[in-house]
Amino acid sequence: MITIIKYTFKEMLKKRAFLLASLLSLLYLSIYAFGLSRIFERPSDSIYDIIFQSEILSAGLFFANLIVAFLVVLTSVNAISGEIESGTIYSILSKPIKRYELVLGKFIGLSIMIVLYSSIMFLSVVGLNIWFGSKISFGWDNILKGLFFFDLGPIVFLALIIASSSIFSTINTGIIAIMAYGIALVGGVLEQIGTAIQQSQVSAFGLKSGESLINAGIITSLILPTDVIYRKMTAELLTQSSGISFMMTQGLFGGMSQPSIYMFIYIFFYVVFLLYYGVKRFSQRDL
Amino acid sequence: MVLETQNLTKQFNGKGGFKEVTLFVEKGKVFGFLGPNGAGKTTFVKTMVGFLHPTSGFAWILGKPIGTVESREKVGFLPENFRYHDWMTGKELLSFHAELYKIKNPGKKIDELLELVKLKGHENKLIKNYSKGMQQRIGIAIALLNDPEIVFLDEPTSALDPVGRIEVREIIKQLKSQCKTVFLNSHLLSEVEMVCDEVAIINHGRVIAQGKLDDLLKEHTHVEMVITDYTPELIEKISRLSKEFQFKENKLSFKVEDREKIPIIAKMVIEAGAKLYQLNTQTSSLEDLFINLIGKDEIS
Ligand SMILES: Nc1ncnc2c1ncn2[C@@H]1O[C@H](COP(=O)(O)OP(=O)(O)OP(=O)(O)O)[C@@H](O)[C@H]1O
Ligand SMILES: [Mg+2]
Repeated sequence: MITIIKYTFKEMLKKRAFLLASLLSLLYLSIYAFGLSRIFERPSDSIYDIIFQSEILSAGLFFANLIVAFLVVLTSVNAISGEIESGTIYSILSKPIKRYELVLGKFIGLSIMIVLYSSIMFLSVVGLNIWFGSKISFGWDNILKGLFFFDLGPIVFLALIIASSSIFSTINTGIIAIMAYGIALVGGVLEQIGTAIQQSQVSAFGLKSGESLINAGIITSLILPTDVIYRKMTAELLTQSSGISFMMTQGLFGGMSQPSIYMFIYIFFYVVFLLYYGVKRFSQRDL
Repeated sequence: MVLETQNLTKQFNGKGGFKEVTLFVEKGKVFGFLGPNGAGKTTFVKTMVGFLHPTSGFAWILGKPIGTVESREKVGFLPENFRYHDWMTGKELLSFHAELYKIKNPGKKIDELLELVKLKGHENKLIKNYSKGMQQRIGIAIALLNDPEIVFLDEPTSALDPVGRIEVREIIKQLKSQCKTVFLNSHLLSEVEMVCDEVAIINHGRVIAQGKLDDLLKEHTHVEMVITDYTPELIEKISRLSKEFQFKENKLSFKVEDREKIPIIAKMVIEAGAKLYQLNTQTSSLEDLFINLIGKDEIS
């Protein structure tokens, strides 16, 4: 399994997809940095400026997260299915190794790469904000917790892709991955709106439609909980930072409704189950 | 027994594959598995190395049930549609596979194998830039990395030039001299004839003949005789003992399934008072045997 992990990692570095994603992120970070330099040119003191700055940070993280997800899809959709489709699988699995070693080896190898990449993105965005003199006060523990959740999302997404790649073709895995991610994203927004409606408590009607939106959001989170994790990340990074939580985390990119502890128990079993199921189906397959 | 199967069957939704194959392959033998396109040869080998789950029956490699990690420990495999990770160089690829086999310090072995498959000087090229034949050669090297007790070669010369084919033949002979077992899938009968000790012929997924190559060939000996002063009864008797009997003037031409019949027939001729001028025998080639058996199988 160590061999698989090692060579998965090596292969990634040689792949064009990785190079492409690296260039893309570099480009993104430069544009973001340029934007920040403009924004922070004027002096800022008021509370509204802090809220604005937190919005800027959230937006930066949101798109960074999107780019990481893009990289996850690009590098992982063919993790197993590609080996089958190209026929290289015959040279690997005729060795005295079990099929699960290939699946888990790929998962771990890709995870390491994705965690490294995603951490760089997160720290770059946060780092740029601090560098340009953001007024948000970050504690180290906020940053570390935020980093943890920022990296967790892509790993959960990776588990779904690896499981799918062990069962279906590369094309189908690509479709499944993008659809699941899209649904999670839309569902997350719905849930946010639902929460906003409920909090404003305009009317009984508002309360009800807010609730149904929240439920829709929860269901999509069950399909792929990346958005929930993302909101948790924003909350961890911002909410406790300066004690003005309800204001700080508003907006489309922020996290108003916070996921419950049950959601995180669910996420743990979600990853374990997907990997288990992927391995099981892959082991039963005729190749 | 290095390889043993009992009523092994693998079918795809009740179709294709192979049915009720019972085989024994002894240590140190070169075993040829022959059959026309779509007969089930590749399916059989893929089942042996664990890619396909058998529908029914049992099989063991070196005493270990197929499909287990242990059964693959001392096995080498060259797939029919060989494809390797083309972003590695030849040398990196061999190191990768050595690592998969958990071979410690494979450097020397890798050098030896590069020499054996005549890829010395190409080891730092990317596999992407290898020709098809070069890829098959590196495939053979990979199949031999772990000093396997048994090597499954699925049409190992399909992409090779004539010299390469001879080289593979030499490699197979060399393996045999090291008391290794070779399981060779092929439809190149002349090649099989040159290296194999035993063969099985498979058609439509069923083994229709199996045994020592010499024995199988002996069963189909062609005989030509020139006799005079014969009686019709004698001719009648000979025709009953043989097949494809032809009689023209003084010339008899026929086939016998058992070589032991030849002296018996000669004795009959003498005892009947006829004069025997000439008796030629010729064992049929594997090709004749193959065409004959497949032809008969198609009729039945
Ligand atoms: N994955 C599969 N699904 C369905 N049918 C299959 C599959 N693999 C093989 N078959 C069928 O099983 C039969 C045997 O195929 P196999 O590839 O074993 O033939 P072969 O003897 O190796 O032929 P060739 O000489 O052309 O390589 C064929 O009829 C084929 O159509
Ligand atoms: Mg074949």
